[in-house]
Amino acid sequence: MITGKGGVGRSAIAAALALRAVHAGRRVLAIAMTDDLGLAVHLGRERLTYAPQEIRPGLHALAVHRPTALDEYLKVQIGVPRITRMGPAARAFDALASTAPGIREVITIGKVLWEARRGNWDLVVADGPPLGQIGSHLRAPRTVSELVSVGRVQEQAAWMSTLMADPSVTRLAIVSLAEELPVTETLETLAWLEGQDLVAEPIVITNRTLRPLEVAAADLDRLAPGPARQAALLHETLVHEQQRWSADLPPGPRLPYLFGLLTPAEVAARLADVWEEG
Amino acid sequence: MNSQALLVTGGGGVGKTTLSAAFAVVAARNGRRTLVVTVDPARRLATALGVDELGSEPTPHREEPNLWAAMLDATASWKAIAHRHAPAEVADRLVDNPFFQAAAQHFPASQSYASAEEMANYLDARVWDLVVVDTPPAAGGIEFFSAPAEMRELVGGRLLRWLTGGGLPGRRALFNLTARPALRIAGSVLGSDLLERVAEFLMDLRTTYDGLARRAVQIEEHFRLARTVVVTTADPAPLREAARFYRELPDVAAAPDAVVFNRTLPTAWYDPRPPADGIVAENLQRWGAEAHRQAEAQEEFAVRWMTEVATVPWEPRPPTDLDSLAALIQASEGLPLDRLGVQP
Repeated sequence: MITGKGGVGRSAIAAALALRAVHAGRRVLAIAMTDDLGLAVHLGRERLTYAPQEIRPGLHALAVHRPTALDEYLKVQIGVPRITRMGPAARAFDALASTAPGIREVITIGKVLWEARRGNWDLVVADGPPLGQIGSHLRAPRTVSELVSVGRVQEQAAWMSTLMADPSVTRLAIVSLAEELPVTETLETLAWLEGQDLVAEPIVITNRTLRPLEVAAADLDRLAPGPARQAALLHETLVHEQQRWSADLPPGPRLPYLFGLLTPAEVAARLADVWEEG
Repeated sequence: MNSQALLVTGGGGVGKTTLSAAFAVVAARNGRRTLVVTVDPARRLATALGVDELGSEPTPHREEPNLWAAMLDATASWKAIAHRHAPAEVADRLVDNPFFQAAAQHFPASQSYASAEEMANYLDARVWDLVVVDTPPAAGGIEFFSAPAEMRELVGGRLLRWLTGGGLPGRRALFNLTARPALRIAGSVLGSDLLERVAEFLMDLRTTYDGLARRAVQIEEHFRLARTVVVTTADPAPLREAARFYRELPDVAAAPDAVVFNRTLPTAWYDPRPPADGIVAENLQRWGAEAHRQAEAQEEFAVRWMTEVATVPWEPRPPTDLDSLAALIQASEGLPLDRLGVQP
């Protein structure tokens, strides 16, 4: 499951991760958990559907459509018969999903875990909720367990908690940038996760990192005023800022800033390539 | 005095909060009494504005005579909303209810509605010439504008009517909720007490309806009168968000007054000839190509949405004081500052 503050490239990283696994010969499912558009365009599609679509050999993708996921959850996981899944009972669940804490999130996470366990895929990459909502998502099964103390819903929630806490099943990656706000929020989330026992040690991926120019400061100073000097100063100042903020993050993969404003599909493909090259 | 609103919108990570603060500083220095309402500023920016505490009331700046700043805390604002629109004893029950707390945190429109209502309160106070609102980073951003309608829906009893099978019964009807065949199955899966708690919560929430619905209409009126700036960068994801504002905003508010491309590089850096050898020349070539693609993206956006495009240069160090904030606007090009209310 991939999360990260808005604007850090969460969907691009999710798509790149999926592509990288496909290159390694694995059968991969990419899931858009909240908003499907970001993942779709990074996979070169306009939209994703609830039914898994083949994007290329070895890679399928789907988007969680909550009403359909709710119906499937009630059918497959809770065992509610079809006739009562329609009409007023469905609306009661819908009402509940809109108001009761944890229910929406459990339905979305339940879909991801169910796909991960059904044996069709070697890897499920979930383009998850933004960082601000990851806590309520990860905690959702526990929240539901506290609300519903009996029956299948309770059992399902317990099943989810177990799978999420097991590092051989679930890993969480937080995408960050080496800038003040993303780093601050990533550190806050890591600190919160420490005390929660919800997922095993999360991975932090730093996106859009720049390399230093490897030119001596004295040589830069000697450059004549003009574009070359300005561009070198901008670059080195950004590198300096990035180094300052990334020093606070735990070690983890660093992906490069990609020059040239590529299309989303190009970005995902390039990141996957760079990643494979180490 | 009539207060003017300037709403600063856009996708995540484009510099919305910084530019909101920059507009406010320049407006204040132009002699306009200005309040900037910010949602989640970086620490250094909050310090520069003189608001270090979440949920702070409008605070006059210590050095800048016409500048006030407030920092929003959506959860606290929700409590205020409950107390404003519900009878006192219901408001207390609501605020303590776990369903309310969940809705306040997770109902997508809730944070947006809370900020919108605060914005309306500040405008109605008629203390400021200009109220600059940094819109919350809710999914899509456009939610800020649809939040009043969505809140009306939520508290309007649609869900409650479904649960109770039509009409708006008294509290008594709740006791037999799961006796109704349609709800028996839901009750058996979830436990009947849970459904009753949901219904009870919705019933309490409904007492806020009249007040909230009236307020929502006023907020929407403020939206229609407000000036709106869409902030973006030339990257595809924020551009998609920006396009969404141009497509959907006219349905819920006035059309955007300007789009601002933040982190713009000088077009003079672009040179189509192959670069000379050397690290510095290659570096210029990379950034120059970026500048060129940025200019193309701006041009494309201007044509597609028939809008003026403004640019703010890429400032590699985030502004940490009022002068560097004002400098961002001074270095900008194409901003209709008078139309935005930043300049009298």
